[in-house]
Amino acid sequence: MAEKKKALKQVSRSIYSCRTCGQCGSKVTDEVPYVCPVREITPGFDHFYARGKIVIARGLLEGLVEPSRELAEVVYTCTLCGNCMTQCGAIDRDTGEPLVDTIGIVEAMRSDFLDEHPEWVDPEYRGLLSATGQYDNPWGLPRSVKQKWAKKLNVPHALEHPSETLLFVGCTIASNPALYPRAVRAVEILQKAGVAPAMLGKDEPCCGSVQKRIGAAGQAREMMKKNIQLLNETGCKTIITLCAGCANALKNDYSLGAEKLQPEVLHIVELLARLLKYGKLQPAEKKTKKVVYHDPCHLGRHMGVYDAPRDVLNALPGIELIERSATRQNTICCGAGGGMRLFASGNLAQEMGQRALESTSQTEAEALISACPFCEMNFEAASKASNSPIAVYDIIDLVHDAVF
Amino acid sequence: MTMCDEKNNIRNALADIVSHEYVATDQTAVFAYSRDASLFGGTDAAVVVRPGSTEEVSSIMKFAYRHDIPVVVRGGGSSIYGQPRGTPGANVLLDMTRMNRVLDIDKQAMTVSAQAGIMMGKLQQACNRAGLYIFVPAAPVHTVSLGGWLSGAAGGGGIWRETISITVVLPDGTVVTTGGGPGTNIRQRHYFSRNIGGPDFAGMFIGDGGSFGVKTEAAVRLLGLPTVTRACILEFTDLEKVLELVRRHGERINPHPFDPLLVFGPGTMELFSSGSNGEEKFTVMGLMQGHTEREMDAKKEIFNDIAESLGGTHTPELDAMTDIMAGGGEGEEKMEMFGLSFFNGLGLAAWLPFNIPRVSLPEIYPKLIAWREKRLEEAARRGFECCARFEFFTPSDQCSLSGEIDAFFKDMDSPELREFVRNMIVDYQKYTHELGLQDVYNQGIMSSLNAACWSPGFKSLYTTVKNSLDPRGILNPGLWIETRDDKKEQ
Repeated sequence: MAEKKKALKQVSRSIYSCRTCGQCGSKVTDEVPYVCPVREITPGFDHFYARGKIVIARGLLEGLVEPSRELAEVVYTCTLCGNCMTQCGAIDRDTGEPLVDTIGIVEAMRSDFLDEHPEWVDPEYRGLLSATGQYDNPWGLPRSVKQKWAKKLNVPHALEHPSETLLFVGCTIASNPALYPRAVRAVEILQKAGVAPAMLGKDEPCCGSVQKRIGAAGQAREMMKKNIQLLNETGCKTIITLCAGCANALKNDYSLGAEKLQPEVLHIVELLARLLKYGKLQPAEKKTKKVVYHDPCHLGRHMGVYDAPRDVLNALPGIELIERSATRQNTICCGAGGGMRLFASGNLAQEMGQRALESTSQTEAEALISACPFCEMNFEAASKASNSPIAVYDIIDLVHDAVF
Repeated sequence: MTMCDEKNNIRNALADIVSHEYVATDQTAVFAYSRDASLFGGTDAAVVVRPGSTEEVSSIMKFAYRHDIPVVVRGGGSSIYGQPRGTPGANVLLDMTRMNRVLDIDKQAMTVSAQAGIMMGKLQQACNRAGLYIFVPAAPVHTVSLGGWLSGAAGGGGIWRETISITVVLPDGTVVTTGGGPGTNIRQRHYFSRNIGGPDFAGMFIGDGGSFGVKTEAAVRLLGLPTVTRACILEFTDLEKVLELVRRHGERINPHPFDPLLVFGPGTMELFSSGSNGEEKFTVMGLMQGHTEREMDAKKEIFNDIAESLGGTHTPELDAMTDIMAGGGEGEEKMEMFGLSFFNGLGLAAWLPFNIPRVSLPEIYPKLIAWREKRLEEAARRGFECCARFEFFTPSDQCSLSGEIDAFFKDMDSPELREFVRNMIVDYQKYTHELGLQDVYNQGIMSSLNAACWSPGFKSLYTTVKNSLDPRGILNPGLWIETRDDKKEQ
């Protein structure tokens, strides 16, 4: 018989390190309008934010709480944005790491649910995992789809024509025609700067991020192990991702196992910042715009990339960057993280997006800029639903406008 | 009627009052309230309800009173001594944190009124934005609600002096606003005084632990937001000299709200500065917060003169820390050095606080330290590693000191350790009571420990008031003394 609560037991130190003080749900300062986006748009009971979830995790470990369908919903109602960890701020004095890894705890609870009570997990998630198994794409589309975005471009296959730079487009952009321009523009910008990226096209694997986030830890681990081998085989020196989720997975999650990823991993904003800094791109003023930059949780809180996107925006003539009060490590999640776009038909994610958009509306900004396709899609939906005048762009769009 | 039917009836009745979405009965939602920031547990509730207004609280209490349903009230859930137990499994738990609005900031009168479920940090932020400052002593402001503070720890926090008015829902649902100001028996549209036109009933509800009524709103006096901070940090080898400095400081100025003085015991500074040599020294930190550079520089000079004349010495490490502290500014709650994050990172805490007459400290302080060290020796024998000690005291006013001699342990997931620490906290409180000390916290287990020291007259007065306001003992049953069970036995 398989061990019960296996994943949760592995994070028990983190669970018991939590003093359940509640700062993770109630801190308010000038820079932190609220901590938990889920608590903001739900009736606000304790189980909707980190403290309550950790109390429940402890109850599960101690046999005081029984798994249930309601509990599964609670466990999946979390964007894994990590703002609770930032605002908790307690550091393990031995390791220098956050004392309470709430993201790890929620992922572990999800993992145990998938292992022990998959019938209570939202069918959308199970569908995603099954699609990944079949197509290596959580969007459930055949492999051939993944190269469609590059149809009119001259981008070599990385295994056939190795390049120092591999463009890792990510399943979300490669599977959604509305997002294809993001990848196309990225290639055009890179080529203009003298960077000749290769791609993997239909062979580009799913990075395994979303699978890990929704609790399929074993499946994600296997995917990552296989991917490391493939990515190392390309011989590239640098992997450039367009998706913050892919970047975080490749950089952080891939370093957890015995097999190591050889190439350096950069999100495209990091490369763009370098190209602009060293004059490889010559941006010209096309339009003047006041913009707000939204730090994607994966890129900001999880990877610490805060300056590069701002350096990029500040280098574009005519673009005026305005900072919201909740910015950088205090950024408010767009609502799409942790698989929330799939949960409850995406309604909760959209509501969270609307709340996050409100803070932009309070500034003089005309547009919200992000660097993650999930943020972009969710903000687009939120903006449309609330008739917001705020336009939503990816940072690639602005750079492309400025250099072409 | 089955228990399930009964629970459904309660849920439906409460949903009619607050709307369905703010009532929870499922195991998942309710279990999340079974713990708080303490080792002593939260509340085992049947139903959790999140009211949004005084009127809703009043309707809930009327319903509970009519049907003899135990009600337990929770604010931030940050008590270090646990929540009222109530009647396990049958309680309606009022989660007050939905009542988190600032109602009015009167800049001219310098008062703020707010709903009682607001966190002190959020309230402070709103006041600061108006250029004002609510006195909140160095405390976990982001987890303590206004109502929780008034009920549970106001005596130690100093806020009782600044509180002008409290709106309370009595156990039978009656709404009363104490003090002078809007909605009170004094017809004045500004809050101004709490003990005019009658007895100080606001004072009766402060520190009651929530026993006499549910606090739903309060009005508090404000000060101008201090924008300039200066700090002095010095070392002393002699406790008597430190206490003389405390006395002289208190002689010329009330340390709170703007000029706190903190004394750290030997070893504590090692937590902040790896360069500390761990010698048996006390470190004294004086902070001066105010509104002009000139005033703060003068205060700093005076403080330094007194401290140096008593043998206080400066070191490069402490000078560096002084610079950091001086840059903190804008009120004590901004002193992240003492933030909750810092303490949470130290390990499992045995909170060992004390409140003591200043003149008694030389006699009692060594006894407290000796008591702790004996327990830590026992801990070591049982394999529990004490990884940090945190000793400090601060003058609450001219005549009293409050402080802590906390110990922190590794291996937080050990049930045996948690049991050891729980016992350590309780035994420490009993020991301090033997020494004539009383803790200021009036929550959870602390209420019964404190009540055990009551004189017959005090107990009689409490019981009379409690039974008059809450004859069925439905509100926070078991707090202080068991009036509900007493009644049943009768």
